[in-house]
Amino acid sequence: AAMSERSRAEVDATLQTAKLNPAELLPAVHCLSFGPQASAGECCLLQLEPGLCAELEAGRSLVIRGEKDEQAVLCSKDKTYDMKRADTSNMLLFIPGCKTPEQMNADPASCNIIYSQIAGFSNNYWELRRCRPKLKKLRNLLMADPYEGPGSQKDQTLTFSKYTTEDLLSLIQASEEEILHHLQVIDACKIEGRYWRILEFNYEMKLLDHVTQLIDSESWSFNKVPLRTCLEELGSLEPKEMIEHILLSYGRKYVDDAGEVYFEMREDKICRAIAQMLLQNAVKFNLSEFQEVWQQSVPEGMTTRLDQLKGLALVDKSSRPETIFLLKVEDLPEDNQERFNSLFSIRQKWTEVDITPYIQDLCAEKQTVGALLTKYARSSMLNGVKVYNSRRPIS
Amino acid sequence: PCLSCSSGGGALAQWMLVELQGEVEPRQSGSLAGSLLGDLHYTCEGIPVLIVGHHILYGKVVQLEKPFAVLVKQGGAPQPSPGEPQGHYTVTALIKTKLLFKTRPKPIITHVPKKV
Repeated sequence: AAMSERSRAEVDATLQTAKLNPAELLPAVHCLSFGPQASAGECCLLQLEPGLCAELEAGRSLVIRGEKDEQAVLCSKDKTYDMKRADTSNMLLFIPGCKTPEQMNADPASCNIIYSQIAGFSNNYWELRRCRPKLKKLRNLLMADPYEGPGSQKDQTLTFSKYTTEDLLSLIQASEEEILHHLQVIDACKIEGRYWRILEFNYEMKLLDHVTQLIDSESWSFNKVPLRTCLEELGSLEPKEMIEHILLSYGRKYVDDAGEVYFEMREDKICRAIAQMLLQNAVKFNLSEFQEVWQQSVPEGMTTRLDQLKGLALVDKSSRPETIFLLKVEDLPEDNQERFNSLFSIRQKWTEVDITPYIQDLCAEKQTVGALLTKYARSSMLNGVKVYNSRRPIS
Repeated sequence: PCLSCSSGGGALAQWMLVELQGEVEPRQSGSLAGSLLGDLHYTCEGIPVLIVGHHILYGKVVQLEKPFAVLVKQGGAPQPSPGEPQGHYTVTALIKTKLLFKTRPKPIITHVPKKV
């Protein structure tokens, strides 16, 4: 109505009143008016981090994830971002079909009036900040009902929630790639082809024990464990999918020239799992006794080393005799401040070497452990060694 | 719940952002819908000039370091709370350029154009 009335003559009259010289202006004018839905508040602005613009232009989607009690995050295919509202004191109008001077010069319009309708306006927008995917919930969901094997009574009598990939995508505040990668990291597997499960630890050790016993009785090299024979020999004891799963978890798969599948067993991971099995039975152990039992418990030919236990166990060098106890990083809080509080309540002063495995996963993109320590801890010297303690009193 | 933010298949439109100081108020006490804001010209050097009512605003063209996506809510349900992104959104357009206008802070009033 009002907009279509505005003519070139009216525009020129306005220029004259404004004492602007048309000769100094590009010929075409944009007459801006508010579109019918401009005030409805249906549009909002999302500020894009590098890479996201290209993703959208390539036709990929972004997803906002979060339950009512969670702070919303935005996920691309492989990254997760915190969303925060930013307010501005200015008014932002968003206008379709509005050209820049370059665009006007590149394509001189045959008409010299462009009627542009303002689609919406706002004084705030969503800001994004890349964050760590919130994956602790993923492990917690799967740990609520670990898989104990087909012979277990549990699955038949109780109903727990089971999660497909789609279920996890809707519940976990992380991108799809981050979720799938983490499922691999925690050695989750799909039971019945659909549901992601974590193996109950004792069942997992039972499966591992079958394999290591077979390796021993067949005198195979740890680097060349044949899948086919494992399935043949062990398939009567356990489901074949489970045999293969344990090989994938504790070995690296490869195929030889003849097309046969082999596994190169991961000595460090096997030793570490056996240490966990030993340590979980008591609050703490005499260190030297533990080391002896541990070495005897691992498959013959494998060598145990304390550095295999980073993020799993902690040595107390101040006690006499020295002791060792289970402390799993994945059991600690996900939030930075809560993590540090928790660590400092376990031990007042930490060396950087000891604390690093327990805070490494907190590092954001390009952030170092040193930067985290500077932010969340206070350093001092103890017997000539630099140690870190809490910035605030811990009860 | 997952709130999807997808481009809906077609190529994304490119919109422009115009940033003004102060607030936009309708001259009449009705809504803004349909009312004029003003005339946008560019000088031969590419400087944007916005005539709004009795004001002339000079601005500059800014290439945004961080482009914006315009999200349009689907379904028409009102936003339950001011801070939360609820509902289903479609990415309707991208904004890579803004026209930034600075002026003395004054209410900018839409006006009824003079008839020639």
